Amino acid sequence: MSDYKDIIIDHYKNPRNFGSLDDADINMDESNASCGDMIQIQVKIGTRKEPGLPRSVRNEDEVIKEMKWRGVGCAISTAAASMLSEKIVGMSKKELEDFGENGIVEMLGGEVNAGRMKCATLAFRGLLKIFETHE
Amino acid sequence: MFDVEKVRNDFPILKRKIHGHDLVFLDSGATSQKPESVIKAMDDFYRNTNANIHRGVYELSVESTGLVDEAREKVANFIGARPEEIIFTRNASESLNLIMYSWGRDNIKKEDAVLISKLEHHSNLVPWQELCRETGAELRIIDVDGEGKLIVKNQKIKNSKTQSEVFIENGLRVRLGSLESLIADGKVKLFSVTGVSNVLGTIPDLAGMLTAIKRKAQNATVVVDASQMVPHMKVDVKTLGADFIAFSGHKMLGPTGTGVLWGRKEILSKMRPFLYGGDMIGEVKITGATWADIPSRFEAGTPDIAGIIGLGAAVDYLENLGMDNVREHEKELIKYALERMSKLEEEGLVKLYGPRDIEERGGALAFNVIGVHPHDAAQVLDSFGIAVRSGQHCAAPLVMSFGVPAMVRATFYVYNTKKEIDYLVSKIREIPKVFA
Repeated sequence: MSDYKDIIIDHYKNPRNFGSLDDADINMDESNASCGDMIQIQVKIGTRKEPGLPRSVRNEDEVIKEMKWRGVGCAISTAAASMLSEKIVGMSKKELEDFGENGIVEMLGGEVNAGRMKCATLAFRGLLKIFETHE
Repeated sequence: MFDVEKVRNDFPILKRKIHGHDLVFLDSGATSQKPESVIKAMDDFYRNTNANIHRGVYELSVESTGLVDEAREKVANFIGARPEEIIFTRNASESLNLIMYSWGRDNIKKEDAVLISKLEHHSNLVPWQELCRETGAELRIIDVDGEGKLIVKNQKIKNSKTQSEVFIENGLRVRLGSLESLIADGKVKLFSVTGVSNVLGTIPDLAGMLTAIKRKAQNATVVVDASQMVPHMKVDVKTLGADFIAFSGHKMLGPTGTGVLWGRKEILSKMRPFLYGGDMIGEVKITGATWADIPSRFEAGTPDIAGIIGLGAAVDYLENLGMDNVREHEKELIKYALERMSKLEEEGLVKLYGPRDIEERGGALAFNVIGVHPHDAAQVLDSFGIAVRSGQHCAAPLVMSFGVPAMVRATFYVYNTKKEIDYLVSKIREIPKVFA
């Protein structure tokens, strides 16, 4: 069962950052209309000012500081949301875009069947929307 | 009864291996597989006859036109209709949209009601939502009971005002209730209902409902979404009681890209075109045009000629099996599947949806594996070579009314066997182990 690697089952059974934030900066709902899956993402946003760097080269991009999420979904969408909730910390919009769908597939163990890409990218699409609405 | 093993031999795709296993194709409700004769009819056309129809005086064009006419006659005979009442479309969705745009916009007024049921596929729901939103007419929806059967009679509720519920959103007024409560005021001008539910397999009592509706609204126009009906049982439009029926060629062994609208000649003849262009006109001047007679009026542009010829071959194939035999075969399969699956349900492994009485049920088996998302269940089954569909099956309101976001669905057809059902059941047992 190549599509259900141990790492997927682990995150599916013990999803990380599952829950809600009291002081979220942005809330976003995303769903897959054809399968009824939905996810609610909450994030805190900040800027990245790396100490020690000269002021002129400090990265002022906005980044995700923290993410919590809730939702109903399959093993793939649940595991992807769980893994992404860890990966996203410190990421800017550009970094998330660069990470892209390829990054999601890599993250899930390198193999996602095309019919499941909508499941795999549910949280990813929600996060992209978060950056878009925040601009 | 036909020999299923012989039938299976006619379908080249059934020899395919999927992830190293024999293909067990249980998604014919979405689209059926195609027999050699259908594939060959289209191949022959492209190799030997290909030319556009109607417009040519040369031999190939004459032959092509003849082949399309012949296919139209085959489809007409298959459902007891006249050839000119058969309109070729791309699929049942397009057929239903044609009714909505062409008949609906000229005939549905603000004071009317359009009646459908909660069993409908989105293609027999969304067009009517939009028509009612445009015209201000009320959309009425017959609710389903816990088994997925349509609620006909008013239930014993003390306050009679609660017999139906009203929802208003974005200018659309929707009333949900029992058939009886929705037809009482005689305002129903159009009744559009599925012949067989694509999710639960429910076969509504069409004759009974039509009698009740016609008693209150004698002139109501009746549409039957026959997408899951014409491929699976004998349909005769002379006795069905419908004014229009819509179905897809690709769900009845024919090629994708083919659908059919049947309408009564008297009604079709009065309808305006749906799409404008070549082949659907009478006379054209720079200031306007007149319309061709039916069916050409509704077939603008070059049709899927090879597809239509393939659909004709599919009708031949089904006629040869006999539609009563097809229904008997599927009844046996669904009966067997329900027996086997009920055992799993008793063990707490699965939940089954839909009517338990096979007389009221077509060959669709909707279920969930307890604690496992339908997409995950379907993917595990795929790893064993089993093709089932998972999701909302283009019927979101129906699926969600069972309190679940989605379901797994296995659908049966002429080439499926009890052995395949045994295999399905044995692999369903494997599913929870993957996520344990």
